[in-house]
Order: sequence, then structure tokens, then C-alpha cells
Amino acid sequence: MTVAFGQWTLGLDGEGEPQRALIGGKAWSLARMQALGLNAPPAFVVTTAACRAYLASGEPPAGLNDEIEAAIAWLESKTGRRFGAGPRPLLVSVRSGAPVSMPGMMDTVLNLGVNDATEAALAAECGDAAFARNTHKRFLDLYAHIVLRASAPDFDPAKEPAAWRDAIRASCGAEVPADPREQLRGALRAVFESWNSRRARRYRQHNHIPDDLGTAVTVQAMAFGNLDRRSGTGVLFSRNPSTGAPEPYGEYLPRAQGEDVVSGKFTPQPLSALAAEMPKVHAELLEAARKLERASRDVQDVEFTIERGRLYFLQARVAKLAPQAAARIAVALVREGLIDEKAALRRLTPDQARLLLSPRICEAALKNAELLAAGEAASPGVGIGVVVGDSDEAERRARAGEAVILARPTTSPDDLHGMIAARAVVTEQGGSTSHAAVVGRALGLACVVGCGKGALQSLAGRLVTVDGRAGKIYAGALAVETPDENEDEALATLAAWAAKHAPLRVVAASSPEAADAVDLSTNEDAADPDKIGAVLGRLQGARGARGGAVASDQGVRAALRAGLEFIVAETVLPPLLAAIRAADAASLAEEVGGA
Amino acid sequence: MNDAHLVMHGLAIKKHATAEDVAGILGLDLEVVRETLAKLVAGKRAVETQGRYLLAPAARMLLDSDYSRLYEDVRANPAFQAGYDAFERLNPLLKQLITEWQTISVGGERAPNDHSDKEYDAKIIDRLGDFHERAEAALDQLASAVPRMRIYRDKLAAALDKAEQGAIAWVSDARIESYHTLWFELHEDLLRLMQRERQE
Repeated sequence: MTVAFGQWTLGLDGEGEPQRALIGGKAWSLARMQALGLNAPPAFVVTTAACRAYLASGEPPAGLNDEIEAAIAWLESKTGRRFGAGPRPLLVSVRSGAPVSMPGMMDTVLNLGVNDATEAALAAECGDAAFARNTHKRFLDLYAHIVLRASAPDFDPAKEPAAWRDAIRASCGAEVPADPREQLRGALRAVFESWNSRRARRYRQHNHIPDDLGTAVTVQAMAFGNLDRRSGTGVLFSRNPSTGAPEPYGEYLPRAQGEDVVSGKFTPQPLSALAAEMPKVHAELLEAARKLERASRDVQDVEFTIERGRLYFLQARVAKLAPQAAARIAVALVREGLIDEKAALRRLTPDQARLLLSPRICEAALKNAELLAAGEAASPGVGIGVVVGDSDEAERRARAGEAVILARPTTSPDDLHGMIAARAVVTEQGGSTSHAAVVGRALGLACVVGCGKGALQSLAGRLVTVDGRAGKIYAGALAVETPDENEDEALATLAAWAAKHAPLRVVAASSPEAADAVDLSTNEDAADPDKIGAVLGRLQGARGARGGAVASDQGVRAALRAGLEFIVAETVLPPLLAAIRAADAASLAEEVGGA
Repeated sequence: MNDAHLVMHGLAIKKHATAEDVAGILGLDLEVVRETLAKLVAGKRAVETQGRYLLAPAARMLLDSDYSRLYEDVRANPAFQAGYDAFERLNPLLKQLITEWQTISVGGERAPNDHSDKEYDAKIIDRLGDFHERAEAALDQLASAVPRMRIYRDKLAAALDKAEQGAIAWVSDARIESYHTLWFELHEDLLRLMQRERQE
């Protein structure tokens, strides 16, 4: 059984099956990970019952403080660390956890337990004063934002913790407690109160979730990946998330904390580095990834930390996959007997299939292409046109029917009309968060940013091809090809399965049956995804349709509603997948409506 | 502050805007804006095409020289300065959020977010709500010094509200007054008043 410290607090030790309603979703998945035999940093939970009691009276329930003391002592004994004292200080994370996840709930506070004294102890323990200082800063930053709701305190990184505390006080009028137990009590109250935040209340109302479920609080020991040579941190995917290759893929950063991997400030090493350094830990990691994948029947994304040679699992979730990987893995999982064909068809979205089948520059044309400039790939797609350096001119020439590429040193809202008119946008300065990148993605425009100062001026008036996927600009109009879904093994397999399971037939333009379809290519309304439903609704006695937006998601839904037998499309997979999703949504709506 | 200056300022923020757009962002009466725009066009300070207006190049220079003169008091106002400083500290957080809205991380690389993962989108909209709550104090400080800036707070809240209701275009669509569009326009507004250059 889980360890009960009394009425309100439970220790998670991998035994038993604590109720989700009592401990919340996050602690519950932690318990599941433990149940699979995976070693997670020790944690205890203040239950939803305590939250309900707090919300009813506005005070922590009687006995809670004593229980938390006992739970902290339990964490201390499990970790060999002390909360609020050296020589080996215990730091914890505090997170909210409602039985169902919802917006408005408190974010995670990390490194709770740090103050001037424990910072010094941590510095001595890991021999890295800068890390200890940064741990302190990160805690103050998180506590100020999340618990005290400070607006945006001025954190000068060159200053000391005392100055950061002053900045927080100036920003919100409240103090970050120095006493770790005070910190913990403050964070607990903030979690409980976040249950009644504006966003949480509104979400519950909208989704008919009862207001009296309450949220739990998970308090988990922080693992340190930077203590010695046998410490580190990393991420592991149970299969390659970019290519879909059936080998584990991951990154490892020795002597580092989790946020270092995400920050991009350090270059992580491949997992083979970990295999060479600590072969047993590496083997344990791969075995865990296999277990998790089999249990969830999907590719897993696992965060781990190694503290003095001991492996800890921080989080495991279903991995996000690149479109190509999603297609290959969906087929592979069926072949391995983990999922069936129907499930596989829901693992690739219609848009992912469209991206895989979207036009790209021909390999052959790329070989002899003259590269004019290169930068950061900010938004995929191919744009061909004449380079124009001014947004007003771009708009004027585009209106006259010319294909233009907008090239600017940087863009600002001044350039919006030029960007809308252009086939692609390229800039000299700025990265993936610059205006050009952000707006380019919003408009679905090919976009390359940060090509270098002065790199684009000389291109004005030239005909170019912009490859937004690769971040390159080539001279001239390069040949563009549309990938053939029949030539890709995974896509062809999925298309065959989809044809079997979809409620609508999709035929290729070359098929003889295509001639029987009503041709909508000259109907202006049919080109508008919002109007195609009305167009198809008016068709009398038609068996099939082609042209316009009929192969878009909206077009497919409209075709199903209109009772068509088939539609004609250039590539059959995306509309087939859309038809399957439309049928899923319709049967779900029926279930809800019938209940 | 005269109407001609304000309307020109509005055109500098809302490029290629209709009279309604300019009136909306400045909180001015639509008829006043229409008349002022007509005068600006007659005086060759603005150009009209199909009901949309752009500043003429000479008018831009004229406008730029206005700021140092007209907003001395505003720049010296401690509340405004504090609000502006907070805005600049919040700005990278919003940019990061919008990048995560538009792209998802796949094996360490960013790929376009096709918005098929409702849970991912819901988390970001939740963070946007959190961001907005934290930005409110700064927006209030700015509005206390320049009352018309209250409009940004109201419009930002309205965009957030629509996004929270499921109309996700209101997060960052550049063609409407989405949260990101408005935040960017406010930034442009502030940079002009402060006479600073945008970083990227």
C-alpha cells in the first residue's frame, strides 16, 4: 500500500493503486510509472480531500501540518537529504494535480527549499557555486511568478539573491519566505486557491465538471544530474521521432540539470555516450523504454536524470512525431501486433499526410541549383517569384498578377500587407521567434529568416526559389515535384488500409471513374472551404465530385453529409484520413447526443 | 494632442488600415477619423487605395519628429516607465509562447503546429491566460499615463476570451486583432512613444 501519513497525505512508494480522484492525474501517472518498476524520485501527495477541506474553511485542515512534517521526514529518509539544511539539502518540486487536467491550475514550482544557507550547502556538495546560485534564482523566479503572481520582476542576472528578493517585493509587495517550510505552505495554499482561479472555474462550468473535486498537490524530491561524473540528464524516445526508425533515440548531457537540455545552451551527446560511460544505466533505460512502449502501445518520450549513477525517471508521455515518423511507426506498430489497422489510421493526421505529399524542390534540380542565401528555416513550403525589397511594391506587383518574394532586413507590422501578397518571405536578421517567422507561419507562407546582414539586398529583381523547409534561397525557378504516395511504402500501406476503413471512396484523377464526377473546378464557391458544403448540398443525383476544395477536411465532411459515393483527389490518403476522422466525430456526437 | 497627429500615429501602427481600424485602435470617433483621413489625403500625407490608408513617406518623417516633442511628459512619468519596462520583460515570454503555439518540438526540432493536438493547444491557451493575468498590472500602468492605451487591455482580453472559447485564430492570426497582433501593435505604439528601435 501507499504510505498514509494520516488523513490528508500519502507517500507514493510503488505499491498499491491509489485512486486518481484522490491523488490527481500527475501523481497517478507517477504511480503508474512506479508500478511498471521504473524508479522515480520519491514523492508524497496532499490529497484532493485536503483541498476540499481547505476550500470549505479557508484554512489548512487540522493535522495537515503534522502530516506534512512526517511526509518530509519520509522524503528525507528516502533521499538521505535534509529539507532546509546541509550538508546535503533536499529540494522539492511542487505541482498541482486535479483528477482531470484543466487550465488555470498552478504551474510547477521547482527547487523549493533553497535559501541562502541551502544554496551554500548545495554549492559545496556539487562543487559548482554557479549552479547553486542559478538554482536559487530559478526558484525565486518561479515562486514570484507562480505563487506570488508578480507581474515581471526585474531579475538582473549579475545581482545577488537579496537584490532579486527586493525586485520581487517591488513588483508585487509580497516576500518570498526564506524558511523552506513557509515556502511549502505558501505553495500549497497557491495550488488550492488555483482551483478557484478564473480560468479553472470557467473551464469546469463549460465542461460540466463538478466544482467540488478539488486538486491534489504532489511534492517530489528533486534529482540532481550535476553532482559528479556519474550524474547527468537527458531525454529518450523509444523510436526515432524524426525518421520513424525503430531504434531508440535520445540525447544525454553529463553533469547537467534537465533545463540545460531544453535551453539549447549546451550541445547534448548521443545516447551512445551514456552507453560508453555507464553501460548498465543505459541498458536499464532502454529496457524501461520498451516496457513503457508496450504498456501504452505508442512511442514514448522519457525524461530522465542520473544522480551518482542512479537512474531516475522524471516523466514519460506519448512522443510527438514528425509526419514521416508518424506514418512509418503507425505501420510498424501494426506489423508488431501492438495496434490494429483502425488505430494506425488515427495516428497520422490529414494535415501531416498533406505535408508529406506537398510539393518540394526536385532532387535533380537541387543538384545544379545556385544557392544565393541561406538562413533559418522558419516556415515550410516552396515559394517561387521575383524578389522585391519593399512591402508596398510587393503588394502592388502581386495585385497586378506577378509572383513576388518579399525580402526585408527584418519585418514589422509595417510589412504585413506585403507578406500577405508574397509567395515567400525572407529576412536578413532575426530568429525563429522574429516577427517574420511568427507571421510567416501564421499565414502558411514559406519563410527563411536570419540570412545575414546585407545578404538579400543584391537579390532584388531576381527570380528565386525559396525552400522554407530547408532555409535556402536558390536562383531561378526550380522544378517542383509532388511526392507519389504509391512510391512510399508506409504511405501506400496506410492508403490501402484507409480505403478499406473509410466511409467514402477517394479515386485518383487518372482513374476511369473520375469522369463520372461532377466537376466543380469552375465553381468559385466550391473553392472556398466554408462554402463547399452548400455547393455539394445542392448537387442532385451526383455520385461523385471533383475540383475546388472537395479534398479538404471541410470538403470531405460536406461530401459525407451530401451522401456522395466518392470524390476525386490528386492524393488519396489525406481525404481518406479526413473521412475516417469525420466518421469518428459523427459517431462520438451521436453517442453524446444519445446519452 | 491633435487629431491629425493621432490618426497618423494610428496609421503607423495599423498599416494599410481602414478608417474603422484606426478609430478602433485609438478609441477615436469614427467620423472624426474619416474627416481627418480625408484631410491627410488632401494634404498628401496619406495615400488611399480601396478604402485602406497608408502614410506617405514624408508624413512618416514628420510623424517621427512629433514624438520627441509630444510625449516628453509621458516618458517622464514613472508609472509609464515602469509599465514599459515590465512590457519589455514580458515581451520575450509572449514571443516564446507564440513560437510554441505555431511550432511543436519533434525530437528536438521544431515542426509547424497543425493544431490537431487539442491538448497541446489547450495548454498554450492556458499559458496565454496566465500570461495575460501577469501582464494586466503593466497594461494598467501604461493606461494610467496614456488613457487611450486602456483599449489594448480590453482588446487583448477580448482576443484571449475568444481563444479560450475555442476560436483559436485569436491567438496569433496576423489578419485579425488576435492576441499576438494586438501585443505587437502595442509594442509598436510604445516604441514610437519611447522613440526606440525594435530589436528584431
